Amino acid sequence: MVAFRNTDTSGRTSGLLLRCVLYCLLALGLIIVDKRYDHLGKIRRFLSIVAYPVQVAVASPFEGWNWFRESVNTRDALRTDNDRLKAELRLAQFKLQRYEALEAESQRLRALRDSTAGMSDRFVVGEIMDVDLDAFRERVLVDKGARDDVFVGQAVLDSGGVFGQVARVEQLTSEVILVSDPAHAIPVQINRNGLRTIAVGTGDTSRLKLPYLPTSADVVVGDLLVTSGLGGGFPPGYPVGTIAAVKRDPSQSLADVDVRPAAALDRSRELMFVWLKPGEVLPSAGSAGSAVAALPAAAPSTPPAASPPKASKAAPPKGPGVKKP
Amino acid sequence: MMREEKVRRVPMALSALIALAFAVLPLPAALDAFRPDFLVLVVIYWSIESPRAGGLGLAFFSGLALDVINGVVLGQHALALTLMAAWATHLRLRLRVFSILSQSLTIFALLAGYQFILFWVDGATGNPVTNFGRWLAPVVGAVIWPLLSGSLSRVRER
Repeated sequence: MVAFRNTDTSGRTSGLLLRCVLYCLLALGLIIVDKRYDHLGKIRRFLSIVAYPVQVAVASPFEGWNWFRESVNTRDALRTDNDRLKAELRLAQFKLQRYEALEAESQRLRALRDSTAGMSDRFVVGEIMDVDLDAFRERVLVDKGARDDVFVGQAVLDSGGVFGQVARVEQLTSEVILVSDPAHAIPVQINRNGLRTIAVGTGDTSRLKLPYLPTSADVVVGDLLVTSGLGGGFPPGYPVGTIAAVKRDPSQSLADVDVRPAAALDRSRELMFVWLKPGEVLPSAGSAGSAVAALPAAAPSTPPAASPPKASKAAPPKGPGVKKP
Repeated sequence: MMREEKVRRVPMALSALIALAFAVLPLPAALDAFRPDFLVLVVIYWSIESPRAGGLGLAFFSGLALDVINGVVLGQHALALTLMAAWATHLRLRLRVFSILSQSLTIFALLAGYQFILFWVDGATGNPVTNFGRWLAPVVGAVIWPLLSGSLSRVRER
């Protein structure tokens, strides 16, 4: 027995090295092929279907708990909730009236300037799955995937404003990178004066920063940042955040500007995937230089249902901006 | 001998699956950085206790599953797990006679090596995570190793 074991062990040790090298080569090959050639989309998609049950199994207890909590809500809580929602709806409808008039005006102006109307045409609402991806990257998993025509680079909004963009698409799910991810940058402009710059994530869901603004730039605390539509990834005119702090050090050439994101990056559960109308991005990118053009371009025609919560949340900073044009 | 291995595969696969689920279980943000790499611990445990039944295959496919679920470049966790499992298998005879403290220290070295490979692949594929938080996981993992190996041994003996 002992003799057997000894030969067994030594035999296995040499086998171990061989198998280790083989598996490592396989893994390295996978990394290179996945990174360089992007040929693994199909394999990954298949594997993700296999992994889906695990994700659902992890998420379901939390969903069950939420469902349970909602269903045992007291009558009182429901009534206050109802009252609040009604008040919000009234406010939103009031704002919408003005909004529709503005939209019509924007259409007319755009017709005058002979450019296409900057409207996004299709929205799909997805829900964040209760799955943690990576503690050090700001990403979430959403329950809409290739089956729902989601594509990489697609803009994702929540009721407050821009949430992020799609980083990876599987068959049934997709991964959304938040605007606050350190690797994420989004072209924005200041709604008040049309100043364009880029907002970069910090890794903190409550803060973005504008690292490329000169010290002399006209930016004050409370300014609303909206997407500029440049770069083509995002529809123009959606709120990104408000300026939270501006630090100007005279010895530096660039100002230190903090932005509070408009989207509830750490609280939202429902996200909206946006499909742009083809040909929309270029005209509005050309017009983005003028300060006034930016906001009417935001008016999404299809989802009035989507804009009221946005309007009500971003109300204080947005009010003056809406009146301006 | 063959039958014994077959019996062992069930708890092995089960523990790996549970550890995989734990890797994506939502935790409060404050605790998230302290999340230990349970799957690595489980794979190391089986590489030490019965390298024959699971061994590198288990490591490779667990790593692949982690890649898919975490949505990182395919092969990253597979590479790191395979290397560390091979190292653990190589050390297993010594590890079994170590005291708990030196076992934990060795496990810490394995986990740190695992994180280092992840770190390196992250950097090589162009999205580095330069955050010291990621080096917390090995410490937590080394601390809970005695608990985990104890409970897994109990499961295995049954």
